[in-house]
Amino acid sequence: MLSPQEWDVLALSLRVALASVGLSLPPAIAMGWVLARREFRGKLLVDGLCHLPLVLPPVVTGYVLLLAFGRRGWFGPVLDALGVTLAFDWKGAVLASAVVAFPLALRAVRLAIEAVDPRLEGVARTLGAGPWRVFFTITLRLAAPGLWVGALLAFARSLGEFGATITFVANIAGQTRTIPSAIYTYLNQPGGEDAALRLVWVSVAVSLAALLGSEWAARRARGRQEMP
Amino acid sequence: MLTLRLRRRLSHFDLDIDVVCQESVTAIYGPSGAGKTTLLNLVSGLIRPDAGHVELDGHVLYSSVEGTDRPPEARRLGYVFQDDLLFPHLSVDANLRYGYERLTGAERRFDPGQIVELLEIGPLLGRRPQHLSGGERQRVALGRALLSSPRMLLMDEPLASLDQGLKSRIIPYLRHVRSDLDIPILYVSHSVAEILELTKQVLVLRDGKVLAQGDFFDVARDPEVLPLLDEYGFENVLPVEIVSGGEGACTARCGDQTLRIPVCHRPAGTRLFVGVRADDIILARRPPEGLSVRNALRGTVTEVSTVGATCLVTVDVGHRLVVKVTPEAVAELGLAPSLQVWCLIKTHSLRLGPEID
Repeated sequence: MLSPQEWDVLALSLRVALASVGLSLPPAIAMGWVLARREFRGKLLVDGLCHLPLVLPPVVTGYVLLLAFGRRGWFGPVLDALGVTLAFDWKGAVLASAVVAFPLALRAVRLAIEAVDPRLEGVARTLGAGPWRVFFTITLRLAAPGLWVGALLAFARSLGEFGATITFVANIAGQTRTIPSAIYTYLNQPGGEDAALRLVWVSVAVSLAALLGSEWAARRARGRQEMP
Repeated sequence: MLTLRLRRRLSHFDLDIDVVCQESVTAIYGPSGAGKTTLLNLVSGLIRPDAGHVELDGHVLYSSVEGTDRPPEARRLGYVFQDDLLFPHLSVDANLRYGYERLTGAERRFDPGQIVELLEIGPLLGRRPQHLSGGERQRVALGRALLSSPRMLLMDEPLASLDQGLKSRIIPYLRHVRSDLDIPILYVSHSVAEILELTKQVLVLRDGKVLAQGDFFDVARDPEVLPLLDEYGFENVLPVEIVSGGEGACTARCGDQTLRIPVCHRPAGTRLFVGVRADDIILARRPPEGLSVRNALRGTVTEVSTVGATCLVTVDVGHRLVVKVTPEAVAELGLAPSLQVWCLIKTHSLRLGPEID
């Protein structure tokens, strides 16, 4: 079975991935709604910017994060004043994962919201519901299966995050050493292959569980719309 | 009373309307793409006009001059679409209560139980919209709109997707809404029969402009409106009262005249509408003999209009009937106002319509 060290790696990975989903999903939902329902000048540019982390090499994303949120970065003084440390901290790993996962979540959420008939939202308005209530009781509820897909994609992407994380917050045991960094580390140690392989199996198990869990949740959400 | 002054630029024409609707039910009639749906959307607040004024019973809903633009949720207008647009993730009961629960106790004009009973949808409450038939869905949509206690109902071809039998079953509910619940209705349709079964007041739209407004039979005389009526097929409706049943046909009374109508399994005394298409009526100068046709309604010609290669003759048989004939027939029979004629109608050309309460 796993060594205590390896358990720590798994626990940290799950913590970072779940927090990353929590951090990336709300802005993905907000932005997904804006892109699905609003027309404005520069929409294409905004769309492109949102998708940038998807196409940029993760190392570049990590370096930009370092420039922005590192100790001597642009926002370093602000973070200092707030008492928040991101560099070499697990919270920094969450930020790196969330930024990289954001475009994937956004795509899924946007597609799901686009698939909701806007006339249903119109009827809800005429029935006396304001825009926010319509958003929460109609749009989000009908887009729920797509939100689960978005959450899964963000989770999986965060679990596999390596380049941006290692560039931004390095590879520190107990702080920022998630499964991919750990496998990388073990492979660079003589005799580390067994530990690396165990973590490979752990990755397969966690990813599969996430996939099945998300599929189950999406089905339940769809079922609530379709079953009697 | 609904005052509408609206201007809105659309892709293929400009909508420009200035009307006052005073009757409880005003039908909006016009060809596809005339701006009927756009008009309802403008009234409901779902789209914004370029300029204008919308006022319902003293409440200003929109005014470009005063800078008023009430959002749809504050207008209290019940909108029923051609597709029922029930919320698929909610049960029938939750759909019905969606608008109702937004209201304070004082704003609620109806109780869910009352509406459920009126529309006979009690057995459906626990079901999902996906498991309802077309007619059931449309009744639930109507109930949902009513339970939001609207000041007016906007209905956009609510029956267009239903077959004839279902239409006849739903029209009486609409008549109840009009008379029992006292809610005015703006009703978009391009079925003359449907309109006549609900109201006589009609507003004819074409290319975003009001072509005519008023009593249907007055409007129908307009040389610009006639071609529209002709194009969509003109179906007359007559209110009749069943006198007795019988083998193969029933006897019904229409004013002081008698009609043989198809078997309808309804008790004597039942009042209902029967429909007959303008091209299914034959005109005769004398009462006919030796014909299989069962019905000969005596009447007086009130109007003869020519539309392209056909003539539309209006005959008053107690109610007005529009009959489509050729110009030669008009010439040969000497059809002209005040002439007495007989309208020959086969029993099986009569469509049994909705009951009248």
